[in-house]
Amino acid sequence: MTSKTILIGSPNSGKSLLFNQLTGLNQKVANFPGITVNIKSGKSTVDPEQILMDFPGVYSLHAISGEEKISVDAFYAGLADPEVSSVVCVVDTTRLEKGLIFALQVINACAEYNKPVVIAANMTDVLNSHSMSMDMDGLAAALKVPVVAISAKSGLGLGDLQAVMASHRDSPSAYASTIAAGNVVIGNAANGDIIASDDSIVHRQAQQLAASFGPKGDLLINSQTRLDQFFLHSWFGGISFVLIMFLLFQSIFTWAAPIMDAVESLLQLAASVVVPLLPAGAVSDFVSDALFGGIGAFLVFVPQIFILTLVVGMLEDSGYLARAAVICHKPLRIFGLTGKSFIPMLSSVACAIPGIYAARTVDSPRKRWLTYLAIPLMPCSARLPVYSLLIAAFIPATGVFGRLIGWQGFAMVSIYIFGILCGLLVTALVSRSSAALQTDLPFVLEMPPYRLPSWKPLLRNAWDRSKHFVTKAGKVIFMVTVVIWVLGYFPNQGADLGESWLGYMGKIIEPAFAPFGLDWKYGVAILTSFLAREVFVGTLGTLFGIEGGEENVISLVEHIQNSGLPIGAGFALLVFFSIALQCVSTLAVLRRETGSWRLPTQLFVSYSIFAYGAAWLTFVIVQSIAG
Amino acid sequence: MTLWDLKQGNSATVESFCTALQSEYRTRLSELGFHPGELIACVLSPSLGAPKLYRVNNTVYSLDDSVASLITVA
Repeated sequence: MTSKTILIGSPNSGKSLLFNQLTGLNQKVANFPGITVNIKSGKSTVDPEQILMDFPGVYSLHAISGEEKISVDAFYAGLADPEVSSVVCVVDTTRLEKGLIFALQVINACAEYNKPVVIAANMTDVLNSHSMSMDMDGLAAALKVPVVAISAKSGLGLGDLQAVMASHRDSPSAYASTIAAGNVVIGNAANGDIIASDDSIVHRQAQQLAASFGPKGDLLINSQTRLDQFFLHSWFGGISFVLIMFLLFQSIFTWAAPIMDAVESLLQLAASVVVPLLPAGAVSDFVSDALFGGIGAFLVFVPQIFILTLVVGMLEDSGYLARAAVICHKPLRIFGLTGKSFIPMLSSVACAIPGIYAARTVDSPRKRWLTYLAIPLMPCSARLPVYSLLIAAFIPATGVFGRLIGWQGFAMVSIYIFGILCGLLVTALVSRSSAALQTDLPFVLEMPPYRLPSWKPLLRNAWDRSKHFVTKAGKVIFMVTVVIWVLGYFPNQGADLGESWLGYMGKIIEPAFAPFGLDWKYGVAILTSFLAREVFVGTLGTLFGIEGGEENVISLVEHIQNSGLPIGAGFALLVFFSIALQCVSTLAVLRRETGSWRLPTQLFVSYSIFAYGAAWLTFVIVQSIAG
Repeated sequence: MTLWDLKQGNSATVESFCTALQSEYRTRLSELGFHPGELIACVLSPSLGAPKLYRVNNTVYSLDDSVASLITVA
């Protein structure tokens, strides 16, 4: 019979790495029923009947932020689930006292729901490397729950942990007798309202347990302090921050270029093989224009999504992102934000949706609301195909040090900085014009140890993100592409795009985009991109594909260059796309997180007006400079 | 003296929390190790008023002036 096991632990306890080790590649991410929290689940590699669920890391079952409350509620909902047979609480043995405070809360909660719990005492490899040890049996006897020494990194003790989990599943009644015999039960964690004396008791117990059974000695390695002294230094810290961010953006453009070229060549090769095999006429034109022209133009950018997710994940895993939040705290305060806003904002560089979810970690509701205002202006990966296309069309592919640092990379950095500055400008203006209704909540952030990233989970995450991008955005792009192709191909079988149904419709809306030098084809592409930004590329690909007739297999960049688009219009498009909120999913998630359509509607309208005005201004300025 | 006043490289023991600090934050700080009687070391004090790094047990936290100045140490 299938049973579920909950994995819970504090952030940085190594819980997710343990989950990856126990489940291998067999994972999926799902929302817990009724609760919008991402919980990964996967089958155990040794027992397919055992489903493991990786709950988000929390410091305590007494939630103080929105995100923690959702995670803690999900944990209690999990405990109430009859299919959940046991709970594994992951504790970092190098920081035992803090881990035990949380473990005691978990043990108490599990006791109330009659669920067996096992303590996974993680990072014993670090203890071993410092010639230290802890008394697992003594701790288990004191807690009256099994304590298993493990190392999620090296795999040490995982077999023992799986054996304990299996025994809990096979004989759940054994736990009830343990509780009856008297466990370490403190306060009433279930109602989230522990009085001060109970907290003191928990703390004293954790302190005593850590002192009696924990490792003796100093484990904090001096190298961490030395690295902090460098990365948080007034000068070196700032310089390294700018350098790391610069490398991040270079990696997604200049360094991704060879892979993108390879994908493009592959698609062109496939088109040249497949299209001649099809009967001439509408079918062949559809495959050539809509599939290879439209969807193919979008697939070229998937390597960039992969590299971006990989690099952001690497920075997070290395421990650097927390330092970046410290560096950004003071400057972000000027704009009404907090250092904790940095991580949601950086996540939004990959995608606004995880960024909006990550904003739950911003404890202050006001600062969280301000972070929501900034997130849609962060240069998300859906903007990347549009930026890449326009930059490739208008900026020369030259650079310095060979092509290691290219001008196109510089252009990409500039447009990214522009989006970020727009976001900060908005939050600064709004935070100063609207009065604070409450005092700010304090800034407390744990500094995780510096460590080498674990490549396997990072690569898997980047792969999942790319797959999600292709499958989710791909469906929308496919539907839009088909509609655009049909409207553009008929009634004259692609003979003259200007005389097609789409041509007539496009010419009606053309005056709206004429002020920044765009013809009706770009107008149609902009309108369709309000579903999702990347649709712009697919729509243009399809339109130029139909127009290009037999020569439609040439790259979209060349089509744009040959279309006679003024340079001012290219820059205006870049500015328009960096501001406009063209993402239905972002609006829907914002509605879910804020509980109403008010904020998404306000943002959609105001950012559309802002984008239009800024694009027009850009066109006028660039055209006057270009002469 | 408050925790914010603690110089880099120095240690002090937490005495109490100012009443201005909300009770749930006092609870959380205690859970993180900043509880009365605990020895805290200031490991890094960046310039320009950036949040400082404090070490408690084997963990390092970054606290800004809005919270560190509400913790009394001796």
